Amino acid sequence: MEQDLISKKDLLDEKGISYGQLYRWKRKQLIPEEWFIRKSTFTGQETFFPKDLILTRIDKIMNMKDDLSLDELADKFSPLLPEYEMRKVDLLKRNIVSPVVIERFASGDADGVVYTFDKLLYFYVVDKLLQAGEMSMEEGERLLQTLRDHFPKFDGKPCDLIFIRKMGVSSFALLSVPADLYYESGVKLIARVSMSECIEQLKGKWV
Amino acid sequence: METFNGPDLLINGVSKAGGGEYGKVKIDGVGTVEGSVASVTFDANGITKVHGDLITGELDSDGIFRVDGLLTARKMKIDGKMKVKGSLKADYCSANGILNIGGDCEIEQFDMHGAFEVQGLLNAGRMELKLQGRGKAREIGVESIQVRQASRSVWGKLWSWMLPKFSPELQVTVIEGDDIDLEYTEADIVRGNRVLIGKGCSIGLIEYRTELKVHPGAKIGKEVKTGG
Repeated sequence: MEQDLISKKDLLDEKGISYGQLYRWKRKQLIPEEWFIRKSTFTGQETFFPKDLILTRIDKIMNMKDDLSLDELADKFSPLLPEYEMRKVDLLKRNIVSPVVIERFASGDADGVVYTFDKLLYFYVVDKLLQAGEMSMEEGERLLQTLRDHFPKFDGKPCDLIFIRKMGVSSFALLSVPADLYYESGVKLIARVSMSECIEQLKGKWV
Repeated sequence: METFNGPDLLINGVSKAGGGEYGKVKIDGVGTVEGSVASVTFDANGITKVHGDLITGELDSDGIFRVDGLLTARKMKIDGKMKVKGSLKADYCSANGILNIGGDCEIEQFDMHGAFEVQGLLNAGRMELKLQGRGKAREIGVESIQVRQASRSVWGKLWSWMLPKFSPELQVTVIEGDDIDLEYTEADIVRGNRVLIGKGCSIGLIEYRTELKVHPGAKIGKEVKTGG
């Protein structure tokens, strides 16, 4: 899976931002270090970015920078789990996770139970894949278990969730990014979800 | 950080101490800290070594200072020599002497008087350089940069004649920024919005957006105006 890249120069031209702004955002950790990809070209070393990621990120920064300070923005984009918590009833009330998921995976918990951000994140990811119609309920159960077992091991480092199926047998994996992954023939990649992206989306629901 | 009530670390003379969290750290003489340190302030006079990372609010160093890991400070004032093996991060840094950074450098406001070497990317908000020796970085990315040569004494001239390493100029492959004002700089590529090239410069390629002024004594390979 070759990533689509955009050079620094093209990025600045396309978005109409200056070098100073780009470096400033990098200093404020609005743009993660691992997106700066150095490659040699015929003009010497050049910096490239993963195209889709950087374009959406720049759009978000440009849209939000009038309302929020750069430091507040940095918190939003940080891959670290924030200390947000939410009660089960609020979770349903604010429609963050669909009732079906709660019913199936959290029916044992009392309404007043408080979930930490990582618990919420797991529900959110499961819900996301279920809603996309890509995953069955049974698989959801296994996904939840995979996330519980292995996601904390990444300890804030960015990672992707891989969901593959071969001959009807599905499996999940978590891998740290950036990484290239190649499959044997017959394997179908059903979904690759960036956990950092999910964290960002979920954080966005708090405002 | 301000209200931290931890122990202070005081070294007078020659001594070693363990790492950890401290309120104030003050080292006069030859002090070595084994391990990483976090402190509210860090005041060092003499020879100081930190075998680990250093995170502090305010760093004031006179003499020789060495950090084996990363250095993060809100405000730092360096007189003398400093060597950091990892990356350096600071809001404000004023340095007088020789600075040697093994990784990247991220500083909001950077005033440098003397000589420096940054192995990685030097990323600063505002940067003012007065070179007395050689300045070297792989790449510089800034909002604004000003490079000047400090006035040179007869002895300084003699030194740089004998040892070219001491000749006060900036060497870098790429400089990118909004406001760029250079003198005595050797660069492959300079990309910016407003670019001023002063005397003693040798630049391979300049890409500018709004304004370019070149001193007649500067050597320029190619000039390109980009954008609308």
